[in-house]
Amino acid sequence: MTERPEFRELVGDDLSPGERARLERVHELLVTAGPPPELPPGLAEPPGESPGDSLIGLPRRRAGAMLALAAAIALVAFLGGYVAGRNGQGEGFSAIKTLQMHGKGAAEAASATIEIGGPDTSGNLPLRVVVHGLPPLQAGSYYEMFLTKHGKPIAACGIFTVGGRNATVPMTLPGTARGYDGWIVTREAPGGDTHPVVLTT
Amino acid sequence: MRAVVAEETTDGELILRTRDGDRDAFEALYRRYARSVFGLALRRLGDRGRAEDAVQETFASVWRGARSYRPERGPGGPWIYAVARNAIVDRSRARSEPPVEAPEQQSQEAGPPARAEASWTAWRIHRALEELSPSERTVIELAYWSGLSQSEVSEYLGIPLGTVKTRTRAALARLADLLEEELR
Repeated sequence: MTERPEFRELVGDDLSPGERARLERVHELLVTAGPPPELPPGLAEPPGESPGDSLIGLPRRRAGAMLALAAAIALVAFLGGYVAGRNGQGEGFSAIKTLQMHGKGAAEAASATIEIGGPDTSGNLPLRVVVHGLPPLQAGSYYEMFLTKHGKPIAACGIFTVGGRNATVPMTLPGTARGYDGWIVTREAPGGDTHPVVLTT
Repeated sequence: MRAVVAEETTDGELILRTRDGDRDAFEALYRRYARSVFGLALRRLGDRGRAEDAVQETFASVWRGARSYRPERGPGGPWIYAVARNAIVDRSRARSEPPVEAPEQQSQEAGPPARAEASWTAWRIHRALEELSPSERTVIELAYWSGLSQSEVSEYLGIPLGTVKTRTRAALARLADLLEEELR
């Protein structure tokens, strides 16, 4: 938590009593209000051509995407019980569901496809994440993928780096995963206290 | 040709122009209020995703509902605050997860009237910050929310300590002017 600034240090000693009291009241209001939040990249610019339509359209689109994701997770969880009882699931990776991710912030041009495979004999779901256009990382940094609920990261799925801005990353999702509504990828640095989202469903 | 929006154009004038389909006026309102709306939504909803949705719904409502604004009833800021509050309440009602169980002990948090007043005050402060010049806003943000001392702010910005103090004092005075109502 940020330390409360010292009013006297901010304004000095040469104010009239009236002005001093007035500014000190503002000082107290600033301390009480706290900092205004930074707008997320998706809200940094005003909406497009038809604000009433596009602004309402986005939550609907997001809600639709969430439903699709929830349906996908429910589907693979259901298939988990079915397929796990069978002997093996064939050679190689075969996606039973595919989801798209789009870039955010400094990685706005990036994209990714999450391919969800059928459950293995332990009930885990193989994922293959095909990433395009993610910026190269500094030494020691990495990307991390999370399952989210209402935009908050809930469960880590795995970490990866990219070579030549593209990568195909194998991951695993427990077949018991329930209640999630999205995925994000963040950029992480050792000891870093920021976790910018670079990809989101 | 698009109309120009001057900085001194009032919120009320911008809402009236938005009512007439003026996109520049709408965008000016968005730039003035998006952070304040987002801050209000975050405080009330406690969730960034739903706060983002509330911001979008607020400005969709501003665009569609600008005709309901009556300048004779008051300035534009409180009208936008009311629109934002309604969007946030709607978003709050729309939450799908079950409510948190009631605590056994009495909450130490402020009651609804105090919370409402605190929300309004924070809204006004954040909106007033947007009115400062970038150089004034920077010294305020660094002084209050970065944890830097005035000497460190001076070093960070590469300007003399006296300039930092002068700017900070001027910014506080400007905020005092803008927040006259809250200071009474």
